[in-house]
Amino acid sequence: MNVRELWQKPEARFLILFLAILGVSFTVVALRQVNDVFVTPYTAVIARMSGFILRVFGEEATVSGCVVSSPRFAVTIYNGCNGLITSLIFISGVLAFPAKISAKLIGVIGGLLAIQLINLVRIVSLFYIGVLLPQHFDDAHIFIWQSLVIIAGISLWILWAHKFALPQESS
Amino acid sequence: MKNATQVFLRRLPMTLIAAIVIWLLVRPVIDSAVAGLAQTLIRSFEYPRVTRLVIEDHRAQIRRTDLRTDSTVRSVSMTEVTFNTIVLLALYLALPRPFSRRQLERLFMGWCVLCLSQSINLLFHVKTLYATGLGEWSQHNYSDLARNVFGFGRYFTDLPGRFSFPFLIWLGFNWDVIMKMLRVSGDEDTKQKTGSKQKKKSVKG
Repeated sequence: MNVRELWQKPEARFLILFLAILGVSFTVVALRQVNDVFVTPYTAVIARMSGFILRVFGEEATVSGCVVSSPRFAVTIYNGCNGLITSLIFISGVLAFPAKISAKLIGVIGGLLAIQLINLVRIVSLFYIGVLLPQHFDDAHIFIWQSLVIIAGISLWILWAHKFALPQESS
Repeated sequence: MKNATQVFLRRLPMTLIAAIVIWLLVRPVIDSAVAGLAQTLIRSFEYPRVTRLVIEDHRAQIRRTDLRTDSTVRSVSMTEVTFNTIVLLALYLALPRPFSRRQLERLFMGWCVLCLSQSINLLFHVKTLYATGLGEWSQHNYSDLARNVFGFGRYFTDLPGRFSFPFLIWLGFNWDVIMKMLRVSGDEDTKQKTGSKQKKKSVKG
């Protein structure tokens, strides 16, 4: 099978494009300049939003950089916890999938907002798990919430492909 | 929303819980298999063969037979390396007829590929530790190029790999099923519409 034949297979084309976009985007965010100018300030915004929600819930939460703390518990939001990874995977999936530009735009904007909303719920819930059930914090953080966030991202992609991408492609 | 997609999305929360239970049950086997394969891969390119990966309390302890016995033992969390098995299992189980022979074969193949990716992730963790984390010994035994290659490999197989591989493997092995699932309603609608038009025509005729 030559490259042209491989490229004509939709699954191969999707996987190649998906990996290429994912590879480029992850390389870009790994650059120190991009990290300093975009990733760290972005994570700090997520921390401030989490702190705001916790204050709405009555916590005496303060935010310093990427650390959300209160007298009861503190969480540090790292690169893997800011929703950026899931967002980049979702965006790669949307951009690699055959669909109109308008459908892709809807997917990217709607998906980013939805993933960030889910991520805020994750951070706030992890804060309360840390307060109420600290012995389960690691389990909740690593395999429950990470799996949930990935599954949520994939569900959003399926919803988008079903509602916005495929009908237009078939027409 | 079409039926098959709706059923899939409805099943996902339940299959996620089932996948977590299965993963918790088979976790010791997965830990050993992934660490065993990683150790074999590391030792394949090592002379003398000194690396041993020992699983203890869901952490892979990195031991070298050429180090003193009182040396600090570094370890890698196997929970972080293998948790994405949950995602792959949940996605497979949510597809139509998950226990059919064809789907079980695909699950087995997909799981094997995921285990390989997890072993490669662990390999990069160990090699990055050797290349960057052991002070003068690292400087003496590894070049700058090796440090960059292993660091790059670790970065890509860590968060990007762990998060995206289950999705890619699931999609790659089940492309026909997933596309059918996504389009089923559209096709059915089209069929229903054309079917009803034909009926109307035949009634008129």
